[in-house]
Amino acid sequence: MSRPAAPADAPVLTAERLSVRFGRHIALKDVSLSIPRGRIVSIIGPSGCGKTTLLRCFSRMNELVSGARTRGKVHFAGMDLYGPDIDPVEVRRRIGMVFQKTTPFPKSVFDNIAFGPRASGFTGDLQGLVEEALTDAGLWSEVADELDTPALELSAGQKQRLCIARTLALKPDVLLLDEPTSALDPEATARIESIIRALSPRYTIVIATYNRWQAARLSDMTAFLDRGELLEYGLTETLFTNPREARTESYLTGRTQ
Amino acid sequence: MMPRSVSGAGTASRAMGERLVAHGLLACTVVAVVALAAVLAVLVREAGLFFADVSPWRFLTEITWAPAAAEPRFGVLPLLVGTAQVAAGAAVFALPVGLMTAVYLHQYAGGRTARLLNGVTALMAGVPTVVYGLFALHFVTPTLRVLWPGIEAFNALSACMVVGLMILPTVTVLSREALESVPAPLLDAGLALGAPKGRVVTRVLLPAASGGVLAAVLIAMARAVGETMIVTLAAGNESRLTWSPFEGLQTLTAFLTQLGMGDAATGTREFQAFFAVGAVLFVGTYGIHMAGRMLVSRSVGRTGP
Ligand SMILES: Nc1ncnc2c1ncn2[C@@H]1O[C@H](COP(=O)(O)OP(=O)(O)OP(=O)(O)O)[C@@H](O)[C@H]1O
Ligand SMILES: [Mg+2]
Repeated sequence: MSRPAAPADAPVLTAERLSVRFGRHIALKDVSLSIPRGRIVSIIGPSGCGKTTLLRCFSRMNELVSGARTRGKVHFAGMDLYGPDIDPVEVRRRIGMVFQKTTPFPKSVFDNIAFGPRASGFTGDLQGLVEEALTDAGLWSEVADELDTPALELSAGQKQRLCIARTLALKPDVLLLDEPTSALDPEATARIESIIRALSPRYTIVIATYNRWQAARLSDMTAFLDRGELLEYGLTETLFTNPREARTESYLTGRTQ
Repeated sequence: MMPRSVSGAGTASRAMGERLVAHGLLACTVVAVVALAAVLAVLVREAGLFFADVSPWRFLTEITWAPAAAEPRFGVLPLLVGTAQVAAGAAVFALPVGLMTAVYLHQYAGGRTARLLNGVTALMAGVPTVVYGLFALHFVTPTLRVLWPGIEAFNALSACMVVGLMILPTVTVLSREALESVPAPLLDAGLALGAPKGRVVTRVLLPAASGGVLAAVLIAMARAVGETMIVTLAAGNESRLTWSPFEGLQTLTAFLTQLGMGDAATGTREFQAFFAVGAVLFVGTYGIHMAGRMLVSRSVGRTGP
């Protein structure tokens, strides 16, 4: 298996020979990679290759699936994420995940954003925190006067930004975005992409996407997963212009889906 | 086009078989519809005769129900209050227990515990109501009388508790369906926001399922309204207008069982009164049930994808 040259930035998340199986099905096989701090990293690959599973490993979400087994290590800011004294609830506050299916709670816009801070016992200026999160997610100007409306009444693009804002309200170190634009039209997709770019220096962002052009547009580094294996990982430009593996090239040129 | 793989003769005989099945099913449906129409016709005719005599207004507002008295009184209010008391009281007992069982089964129980509890629930649903009634009479009421010596031998509290027990499986099973209709990604999102599981259950799962849970309670209450055996055995069959849980009461259905005692002669107003009560019961039960069903479809639409 190929290992990319180590990026210059210090890694914030490092997977070491990470494997995940669901029952007898192996979803990830010996994946090792480092996510540099403050960068945008894309995970691309055909459907079912394990993108979502890899993201879920980073926020310890897979252990909630019955029958899921995780092997290998993940280091986060120097600590062993799966160590015995690590509280997964705490991990999820520092490594926030936004899911592919938008999942607004059947509550008001405000209560959606305030959900995470309240759950972690936040006692500061909740109003200010909500406004900041909505602003960062590019939603504030649209909902400033309707914080009490049910989140379920927002448009699809707004719901996705609400879900991003909800995670931002936790002020996590890392933002995991699973197919953030798969259900959106080109215009809403462009908005989300510009928001992701704007968040980039402050947050380390990992995006799973089946859309290779999105990866090319957005990310500093790209990882190509195929059938649970990390085939190639490197600077996005290098990977797209001069892929090392034949499989990567045929995927990028659209000869395989 | 695909080539035909069936010979003409085979097709013909199969078509005839299908027609036979269709006709048979239609016949069964007709029997059911005719039976229902006959029931409704009798109900409407007798109730109509009754209301031609006793105004619906008096029927619904007078506070004494004594159809067999020398000077008969037809105020259905005591029966309505008695029925409402049993249905609401049963729900008060069944909702917390049923809902918590459902949450436990849905979120916490392992496979073996879940199977065991499912078995117990199914078993409970299969117990004949007369057995529950005997349980009320010979165990619950005596126990209550030790705790509250002033309580009457026939009392509403005992009836509410045991009818609550009877509708417990309904509440549990339907609440669990309501919980299951909440999309899993919604719960994942709550957990991914760093909320402990208990908080996700109370702040995300239960609110999202609330419509379905309310529907579960309504459907279970419709069953409680229709319950007869437990109520007569636990709360007696004497009509009076009271909300006290320590006194006996009479419900719509309990009153109806007296028709079987055969005191009321056909054609008398007393006889027709049974059908008037039957009509009220039918409309009430159907209404509650439909309200519940409507909530189910609404809440599925609301939390669904
Ligand atoms: N909860 C689960 N139980 C069983 N198998 C699962 C589960 N989740 C994922 N898998 C399997 O693991 C493999 C990887 O799934 P994953 O969702 O990570 O792929 P993906 O790359 O995100 O795909 P997609 O592009 O369709 O979202 C797939 O074969 C999938 O069927
Ligand atoms: Mg996926």
